[in-house]
Amino acid sequence: MSDTTPRIRSGAIGFVPKSTSLVVLNLAIALVVAAIGFGVGFGQGLPAQLVIVYTIVSAAGLFWAANYVASIFESRTAPTSTAISERTGGVRSVWATNRVLIVAMVALLVIYLIVTATVPAFRSISNLIAFLVLEVILVFAFKVSNVFVHGRSAFIGLIVLLALIVISAFTIKGFISPANVRAILLFASFLGIACAGQTLVALMGGLDLSIPFVIGAANIGLLYMISLGVPPWFAFVAVIALGCGIGFLNGIMSYKLQGQALILTLGTGFAVAGLVQIITSIGSDFGGNVFGKVPGWLSNLAAMNGKFFGLAVPPTILLWIAISIIIIVALRYSAYGRYVYALGGNRRSAKLVGVSELKYWLLAYILSGGFAALTGALLLGWSGGGFIGVGDPYLFTTLAAVVIGGTSLAGGYGGYGFTVIGVLVLQVLTSFLIGIGLKYEWQQFIFGLLILPMVALYSRSPHIRAQV
Amino acid sequence: MAEARSAQSTYLLIPIVLLAVLLSTAVIRGPNLVSSAGLGSAIIVAAPLIMATYALMSVAITGRGTVDLAVGPLLAFINVVIVTMNGLDLVTSPLGVFALALAIGIAYQLLFALVIIVVRVQPIIVALSGFLALSGINRVIMQRPGGVAPEWMAAWGKGDTIFSPILLLLVLATGGWLLFTLSPFYKHLRMMGYDERAAFTAGVRGNIVRVGAHVISGIFVALGAMCYTALISSGDPTQGTTMSLTAVTAVVLGGVSLAGGRGNILGALLGAVNLFLIGYVLATFNFGSVQAFVTQMSYGLILIASLLLTLLVPLVGRHISFITPFSAFMVLGVIVMTIILHVGMPLPEGASAVSTLGGTDAASRYLLLPMSDGSEASGFVLQPLQKLLLAVVVMLALGTVMMRVVTVEAQARRFGVFGHALVVGLLLVGLASVALYSLPSSGGLLK
Repeated sequence: MSDTTPRIRSGAIGFVPKSTSLVVLNLAIALVVAAIGFGVGFGQGLPAQLVIVYTIVSAAGLFWAANYVASIFESRTAPTSTAISERTGGVRSVWATNRVLIVAMVALLVIYLIVTATVPAFRSISNLIAFLVLEVILVFAFKVSNVFVHGRSAFIGLIVLLALIVISAFTIKGFISPANVRAILLFASFLGIACAGQTLVALMGGLDLSIPFVIGAANIGLLYMISLGVPPWFAFVAVIALGCGIGFLNGIMSYKLQGQALILTLGTGFAVAGLVQIITSIGSDFGGNVFGKVPGWLSNLAAMNGKFFGLAVPPTILLWIAISIIIIVALRYSAYGRYVYALGGNRRSAKLVGVSELKYWLLAYILSGGFAALTGALLLGWSGGGFIGVGDPYLFTTLAAVVIGGTSLAGGYGGYGFTVIGVLVLQVLTSFLIGIGLKYEWQQFIFGLLILPMVALYSRSPHIRAQV
Repeated sequence: MAEARSAQSTYLLIPIVLLAVLLSTAVIRGPNLVSSAGLGSAIIVAAPLIMATYALMSVAITGRGTVDLAVGPLLAFINVVIVTMNGLDLVTSPLGVFALALAIGIAYQLLFALVIIVVRVQPIIVALSGFLALSGINRVIMQRPGGVAPEWMAAWGKGDTIFSPILLLLVLATGGWLLFTLSPFYKHLRMMGYDERAAFTAGVRGNIVRVGAHVISGIFVALGAMCYTALISSGDPTQGTTMSLTAVTAVVLGGVSLAGGRGNILGALLGAVNLFLIGYVLATFNFGSVQAFVTQMSYGLILIASLLLTLLVPLVGRHISFITPFSAFMVLGVIVMTIILHVGMPLPEGASAVSTLGGTDAASRYLLLPMSDGSEASGFVLQPLQKLLLAVVVMLALGTVMMRVVTVEAQARRFGVFGHALVVGLLLVGLASVALYSLPSSGGLLK
């Protein structure tokens, strides 16, 4: 399949298409859609400033996305003539080139028909739509995604995200209500902030499994410090600093043991969680639980009904957006980001060019620890009570989000933008599964089954005979 | 070849030394361990962990960073399925239960191997996927711990004697692997794990070798699930994560390289036993409400320490190559045996210890005497002369090692500042502590 892939001139993808007419066309499309949104917004009777904010944001986002897609299509060169001549081969070549796609689509069709035939309750229009959407995803994932060689996983992730939202909106009542969207975004921001460090570490070819333990430790540690009488803002900063400290320890100890960073960080996590629990339960009758009062600003920061300068958006979501933008921009344009990719891609050549491996390895782990501690502190504001187990769901979910987004665990490929997509996919899927009444166990089961095919779509390693 | 083998087994030194230290501490702190019932129940408690560690080891050797994190949930899955099937009266006979457990274990591992081979994604992602899916489905099958194990299994978990069916399973598993290591298949396995490209070029059929290793791992997991079911004699869907993380720790502690190619069943066994002993020793200290946290922290610290020590192994191995694992095992074994005998024997002058000799039969006279339960320290009480002798022996041993290291160091300055400082510092601390410990008693003796 890779033979027929149109080549893209590497590095030639800009954000602005070269032809002015395309830019104008995109601008027109964006403005028209924004105007429709503007009208619909007022039709629903929303507050004026909200409508204006949404209109501007949607217009800008749409304009940027359209330009991005246009520039990708513009920068691909025409397929060579030999490729065209190879394509004309009748049914046989269609079968040969699309074997996997056809098998997958037929299998899905068979499953759908069997389930429809056997379960009467399954026969509904929304399920038919869901089935069709899934088939369309398959076609997209196999055919169109080849165009995006450099963002294939992100493209597939976006398609899946879109499909999930469409299916959920059809099957679940109130899925796109503001309250539900806010809840999805809030939980996505907790996961997203925790994943920021994991992404950076994965880009360097490492893994950080201490994140859930640091989250739990920061959670009870912050409340413990506040209950001791430390000023809350200082405790907040101190907890994040301590998180960075744990990250530093992780980094310095795993530097010489990079192949076993997974296990080493697990060990640090155990030790930190145990230590913090010992400290907080000395002199207390409730082993492992800390009681205290969470300050109002911290609750407001992360609670569902939090306000940000009058806007009904929890500040955590905005914090996550800010962090995402900073990390994405830094990874793309700063020297730090480029060196991280260089080291992850080829350790040896990066070192020969003079990039300090130790420095960037340490920095990635320090940031990872800091972000984990920040998540723990924010989760305290959300829940209002300290609990060490609050980080447990994040043990493998952070890894899953990074992997689903498409960042390679071997390092050097991916980015935080991918992870954001992965986080959103996971969170929307969770919301969907809760909406159709599945319990946590089933969600976990489905996550597990989902990771494999998604990764298999874009992150297959070459056969061993191709590596010799 | 011989050099390679010795380099490989140098990694066994750490678990052996740790085992000696832990076993002595365990025996001193809780002498019940070396009674027939104590050892029997210790074997039964440790067996699931040992089996899970074996399972991890056999796939870790295949390379590509195959750490099967799903081993715990898989073990719990088999456990839950066995108990559920028993509750429904579907599969109750020993043969059926064994066949069911083996079938599930092998089927899962076969699937794992096929996904790695055909789909070609990183094994850690497959493991992650399996972990989430199995943890989820366990809770679906069984909401909370409960159910009953098959009736014939009830006698297995009693642990009032050493020779239980669990021990038989352990011996069979260990012996089976040792037999397997004689085959060329094992050589191919290690070669592939160490350098897959070289193995491929040399004509090793990597896919078949990989499938074989995974099937063996599946058998180990199935046996581990049987031991686990016998231990708790019910179903428990919740312990999978803990089991996975502990087994990974044990594998690392046992000197198995997670990068592939290096692994030894004796190392895995020692690692698992060490972890069990750590739990046992910590349980003898009474930490009250923070007991669980102290255990958790110690697991973490020991995991880190053992990983960092593997960094020192090549360094140290160059200098003290005169210590082979076998000789270390023999020497330390003698020392530990002495301590066990000392603790196990009634004290010659102790008043409280005499009465316990009566009820014991001849078979347990040598090692497995019942404990003197009178004194609170449970009897690691040394005579002043013994203390002096012990101090002299320890000082001599430490002095020899130190002289040796210093001599080698003077000849070749390869040690590096860090390693040098560490070793010398450790030796000084050891000498100082021995001196401090022995001075008052020897002074008392001289007086």
